[in-house]
Amino acid sequence: MMKYETVIGLEVHAELNTQTKIYCGCQNHFGSEVNSNCCPICTGMPGTLPTLNEKVVEYAARMGYALGCTINPVCKMDRKNYFYPDLPKAYQISQYDIPLCEKGHLDIIVDEAGHTKHIGITRIHMEEDAGKLIHADSFAGSLVDFNRCGVPLIEIVSEPDLRSSAEAKAYLDAIRSILLYLDISDGKMQEGSIRCDVNVSVRPVGAAEFGTRCEMKNVNSFSAVVRAIDYEAARQVEVLEAGGTILQETRRWDDMAGKNFLLRSKEDAQDYRYFPEPDLGTIVVTEEQLAAWRASIPELPGAKLLRYMRDLGLPYFDAGLLSESVEKAAFFEAAAALGKCQPKSLSNWILGDVSRILNEQSCTLADTSLTPEKLAAMAALIEAGTISNTAGKTVLEEMIFSDKTPDQVVREKGLAQVSDASALEGIVAQVLGESEKVVADYRGGKTNALGFLVGQCMKLSKGQGNPAVMRELLLKALEE
Amino acid sequence: MSLYKETAASLHQKLVEKQCSAREIAQSVFDCMDEVEDRVGAYLSQNRQGALAAADKVDRQIAAGRDIHPLAGIPIAVKDNICTQGMTTTCASQMLYNFVPPYDATVMGRLKGTGAVLTGKTNMDEFAMGSSCENSHFQLTRNPHDLRRVPGGSSGGSAAAVAAGEAILSLGSDTGGSIRQPAACCGVIGLKPTYGSVSRYGLVAFASSLDQIGPFGRSVADVAALYGVLCGADPMDAPSARRSYPDFAALLKGDVTGLRIGIPREYYGPGVDEQVRAAVHGALADLERAGASLVELSLPSTDYALSAYYIISSAEASSNLARFDGVKYGYRAPDCDGLIDLYEKTRSQGFGDEVKRRIMLGTFVLSSGYYDAYYNRAKRLQDTIRGEFEEAFKLCDVIATPTMPTPAFKIGENVDDPLKMYASDVCTVTVNIAGLPGMSIPCGTAHGLPAGMQLIGPKFSEQVLFDTALTLENIRGNLCPVAGARGEG
Amino acid sequence: MIDVRHIAKLSRLSIEEEKLDKFQKEMQDMVDMVEHLPALDGGAVQLDPANPMELRTDEVRPSLRREKVLENAPQTAAGCVVVPKTVE
Repeated sequence: MMKYETVIGLEVHAELNTQTKIYCGCQNHFGSEVNSNCCPICTGMPGTLPTLNEKVVEYAARMGYALGCTINPVCKMDRKNYFYPDLPKAYQISQYDIPLCEKGHLDIIVDEAGHTKHIGITRIHMEEDAGKLIHADSFAGSLVDFNRCGVPLIEIVSEPDLRSSAEAKAYLDAIRSILLYLDISDGKMQEGSIRCDVNVSVRPVGAAEFGTRCEMKNVNSFSAVVRAIDYEAARQVEVLEAGGTILQETRRWDDMAGKNFLLRSKEDAQDYRYFPEPDLGTIVVTEEQLAAWRASIPELPGAKLLRYMRDLGLPYFDAGLLSESVEKAAFFEAAAALGKCQPKSLSNWILGDVSRILNEQSCTLADTSLTPEKLAAMAALIEAGTISNTAGKTVLEEMIFSDKTPDQVVREKGLAQVSDASALEGIVAQVLGESEKVVADYRGGKTNALGFLVGQCMKLSKGQGNPAVMRELLLKALEE
Repeated sequence: MSLYKETAASLHQKLVEKQCSAREIAQSVFDCMDEVEDRVGAYLSQNRQGALAAADKVDRQIAAGRDIHPLAGIPIAVKDNICTQGMTTTCASQMLYNFVPPYDATVMGRLKGTGAVLTGKTNMDEFAMGSSCENSHFQLTRNPHDLRRVPGGSSGGSAAAVAAGEAILSLGSDTGGSIRQPAACCGVIGLKPTYGSVSRYGLVAFASSLDQIGPFGRSVADVAALYGVLCGADPMDAPSARRSYPDFAALLKGDVTGLRIGIPREYYGPGVDEQVRAAVHGALADLERAGASLVELSLPSTDYALSAYYIISSAEASSNLARFDGVKYGYRAPDCDGLIDLYEKTRSQGFGDEVKRRIMLGTFVLSSGYYDAYYNRAKRLQDTIRGEFEEAFKLCDVIATPTMPTPAFKIGENVDDPLKMYASDVCTVTVNIAGLPGMSIPCGTAHGLPAGMQLIGPKFSEQVLFDTALTLENIRGNLCPVAGARGEG
Repeated sequence: MIDVRHIAKLSRLSIEEEKLDKFQKEMQDMVDMVEHLPALDGGAVQLDPANPMELRTDEVRPSLRREKVLENAPQTAAGCVVVPKTVE
């Protein structure tokens, strides 16, 4: 069988988290009661007119800068005409031939060594979301909820530069974390704030021309994207191997069935009859606005990840998790900059116990009393052997929601570690005396029994004994 | 009392001097309606109770010694494509037979703010597509000067109501001549304002880039006063001009000394009725004697304007009218089998043939493969026409043309020939295409019927149009006597 | 030749058979007028940077009460507009 290469382009739709909708002053809010965030404008009442929300232009342009796009400072909106019950005006106000942002790129990280791949961004344009159709088996018709009508969207169109479902997933993860970094979208897949259409074609490895592509709609999660791409690529290869040809089609992904279905063929392609939106004028962005928006772009997660690996020696996994969260990354960097301890120790604490506590309490770092200084001081105490790692957990628990410093907690709780061998010999002797069977096992070759003995010693020392010293003493005693 | 025959300015004077009450004015207009409405058919719905309540409020303000706005207590009719909260707004279409807007158009808010009295909603061609009111789904409107004839369109009801004394003032909308043509047919004054000077928010869109709301009246001062209330920047209408406007009525001078009036030869061609041409020339001669000079000039692309107009307006209409689908408001066809069937049946039953024709023409010119040949080409011609007007206004201050090539035609005369019907738009569409202000004023008669002269100015030059028109009014006296609406229907 | 059937379908209109020819001719007449338009160079001016659009500030304004949103709808249920069963 011939070897095939999969070629993928993605159209990502991201809802922006502005206060109001794109063309009217209704609240932009997910999860309200049906048809409660609606007005004559977003329900397409006769006589109403759109007004463009300035924040939508700003957010879209900032995404453009984050993806290295050229911004068109003079552009316009266009109408895309089609009939559907969730589109009350029967046209979507979008952008056609002059998008706000064009010709950008995103470098995705393709392996744990931090290698990157350049993915072209064709364009980013602004448009409105449609409403929602609600179906119930018990009801003969469909219900239309207009709340989502007019929610601002940006559509980010990639070049057909992706070559596997894994790359597509990496691309989507990167887009999502940039949206979160810029704080322009909630990025909640389960609420539909990021959706995507997937274009897939296959070609024999080494071929110069692209194959005929199919577009898949209704791909509602990043993991579904992976499944949908793998399925579609396999389907196309199967068709080609059987001597068939791929027809340009729009197909509907059914994630439950794990299959896609023909929605319409090229002949039935919709004729959207785009033309310039006469109800809106020319969008003009000033030099000053552009400069301010460009300056507002922070270091982005991909760049951070690579820097954490390169400069701070973090493994890919840690660097990825830290850079994914604006808050954790900032906290980590501030703590590391103090230079009191190893960055990896900080990463372990932030991604480990700190994250666990935040999860348990359903809060963020900002809701706690933990500061980069406190965490770094605690890590330094552990590295210096002043307290044990176990005592560190207690220190964290004590200080995360209080004004106490690590030193204070160590003093108050008497957590300082005992490393003096003479003070620990008694404990070791007692544990050995009470664990005859384990000692026998150890001597019989079960060397992992040592861990149990260390644990018993720690327990008896109420966590204060230095485990390394205990271990030494145990070994010495056992070899006698 | 025949208060209904007076102008808003004289009624305001009477109110202020307590010679009559706002209720008496409203009642006088209702009496006129009782007398002629059966024959004229100007209104699709009347608002008598609301009007009386509004009039009484004005009377209480006067009694309390408060100053009132010049339009307070003045009965005003409104075209039925302008949204009125709580009152049906049908666009004379089966499609919106029961539509009650939950909001007021911006101009309605402005009118209500003055204390003006809304008499009702007037008949029109369905969705403002037509030149005779014969495309109304609900009824014919007859020309008060000759009941066998059309009142012009599409704002025929608003023009006829003012002409017959069924309103003192009225609002229409003009996309290709829909205010100026019925004004010419009915012998009243009608202004299509500069695009962007009057908010379109709440005007049910026909062709968004061309539509403007404007006033009808029986005197220049009245029209200027009403325009002064209507105009103004509106944040709800993005393309509306962000500028301030003078008090037009207070600045009226009625002086044309030194005014250069452009006479574009393309508007006086063989298609123009001899008597209409003579009437326009008569008015121009009067203005010349009053100190204006006439400048012959050429607007060479005029002959192509009609096709450009129909391409652009139909394209926008095809999109604007797509929302009427039986889902959210208005008519829904019974017994539908699925969504597509619901759409097709509703739209086929809800729209009349003229509307369907234009929707399909607009869909065609925007459709894949034809956009450049038609829509884009028409838009380029629009740029050319704009440029020609700009050049012309270097040679003159205002341009004068016939409003229509002929006087009002007979009911039924042109219904089977759309192209002949569209020919009546040749003199007016360029003004919309170029976004300019245009005004029709009565300039005499042709075949015993009113003839209209159109005055066109550069953008935002309404004051010049008013002063030119006022000069003629001062020379000739009342240009718009109330028509009797007698004779055969 | 304008394909009236296709255009009608795109417009979500159904045209009676006996009217197809009439519409075809009338629309063709209008389109033919355009054939006489002079050839003009370049594309139409689409942008007007001299008159930038004023944008709306991102401040919430009151929405309409749901009864008002739905009061003109031909059919409603459960706070929504009802359409024939539609799944794409």
